Amino acid sequence: MCAACHRLDGLDKGIPSIIGLDENKLAGMMAEFKSDKRKSQIMGVVARSLTDAEVADLAHYLATRQKGSERP
Amino acid sequence: MNCWTRRQFGCLAGAACLTALAPRVAKAQAKSRVVVIGGGIGGATVAKYLAASAGTIEVMLVEPKPRYTTCFFSSLYLAGMRSFESLTHGYEALAQNYGIKVIHESAVAIDPAGKTVALKSGAKLPYDRLVLAPGIAFKFGAIEGYDEAATEIMPHAWNGGPQTELLRRQLDSMEDGGLFLIVAPPNPFRCPPGPYERASLVAYYFKQYKPKSKILILDAKDSFFEQDLFQDAWTRHYPGMIEWLPGQFTGGVKSVNVKDLSVKTQGETFKAAVVNFIPAQMAGELAQQAGLADQSGWCPIEPTSFESKLQPGIHIVGDAIQSGEMPKSAFLANSQAKICAFAIAAALTGSDRFAPHLFNTCFTFLAADDAVSDAIALAPNGNTIKISEILISEVGEDAELRRQVVQAANGWYTAFTHDVFG
Repeated sequence: MCAACHRLDGLDKGIPSIIGLDENKLAGMMAEFKSDKRKSQIMGVVARSLTDAEVADLAHYLATRQKGSERP
Repeated sequence: MNCWTRRQFGCLAGAACLTALAPRVAKAQAKSRVVVIGGGIGGATVAKYLAASAGTIEVMLVEPKPRYTTCFFSSLYLAGMRSFESLTHGYEALAQNYGIKVIHESAVAIDPAGKTVALKSGAKLPYDRLVLAPGIAFKFGAIEGYDEAATEIMPHAWNGGPQTELLRRQLDSMEDGGLFLIVAPPNPFRCPPGPYERASLVAYYFKQYKPKSKILILDAKDSFFEQDLFQDAWTRHYPGMIEWLPGQFTGGVKSVNVKDLSVKTQGETFKAAVVNFIPAQMAGELAQQAGLADQSGWCPIEPTSFESKLQPGIHIVGDAIQSGEMPKSAFLANSQAKICAFAIAAALTGSDRFAPHLFNTCFTFLAADDAVSDAIALAPNGNTIKISEILISEVGEDAELRRQVVQAANGWYTAFTHDVFG
């Protein structure tokens, strides 16, 4: 889902990379998007469509990915 | 270390056993095969995600064209803001990085009972699961005078490729002061903001190079997606240049004449310098032929697997399907394709299934430094797919915010096409 906008190889070309970030930080950012504390039209809608458990799984997956790896 | 461990010995013994039982075991462990027909956004994404996530599945992608040109962002090319090359993507990475067998041929028939696909060359591809991503077909003949031959004079340019290049050449050679006429299709159609984004970007081009020219949109509909955003932008950026006439006002387009480039509505005939005729649409030809489309002309699907409701074992993704509140967009084709790939992998290999989430964002350009976006979350709901939340840019937003959307849009194109073809 994330890869439609954020490159999974970690390259940042206009849309920020979300690869290799701290898991808790990423989950915290998603919580802020969800509550609109952090303003983003697109990420607000994405975050609100996910359960907390799904956000935790995604944050774990993305945190453990290495930059430069290609495969989804 | 030279000593055999029990584990290694076990493998060796196992290998010997395998050799002895080769024919039977090989059959039992043969890779499942998924054939994907159509190398657009939906088809290429299914192929990639199946091949990447389930190494035990052999994936074949059947697509006659050697390269794919996106229809999204093609109006930037019409306006001289992007090269044609930048919209065009090959299949090499899918073959090399993921082991997908790409077959550049047309699929001509499907045999659901025998589970085979016939190619134009006469070859037959057996499959365990079939995915169709046939895109759209045009309803030629719905408007008098607009048939396939007419597309060479009045391009639809609603598939990326030669049609887009033809329309660009026509706009380039048009004299200043000419009329560019867009015939906008009835719902449902590929890319709801597309015809109006095209009007905006061609106006952007006219404003710089052919400022006396006008744009007229003859619509089959009485309203359109993001109408307030477009009409606000047309007033701000291109005052007096773009006129939109709804179907209820004109009575709709009744016929066209390619000889004098005229378009006739119920009460009036409009002569233009360039006509972009975007016809009414339906699911791509192979879907119609294989009995996968219903009376609406579109393909009904199971919302959690994208398996056809009419032919079990065949999945359909992309613009050819119609389910609930799902618009037709490349972003959604990609989103559907991932759900479809995981559902097929689960069915064939027993891998985990995830709760299906669908998401859509359309980045829409109003001018070079002014773009808007929408964000739509969707999910299966009973037998259909429903929107759970939708947010759309608003009239009166700050110019800086709109510039940031332009930047995000360009970043998205790079990331998105990499997700599909990279």
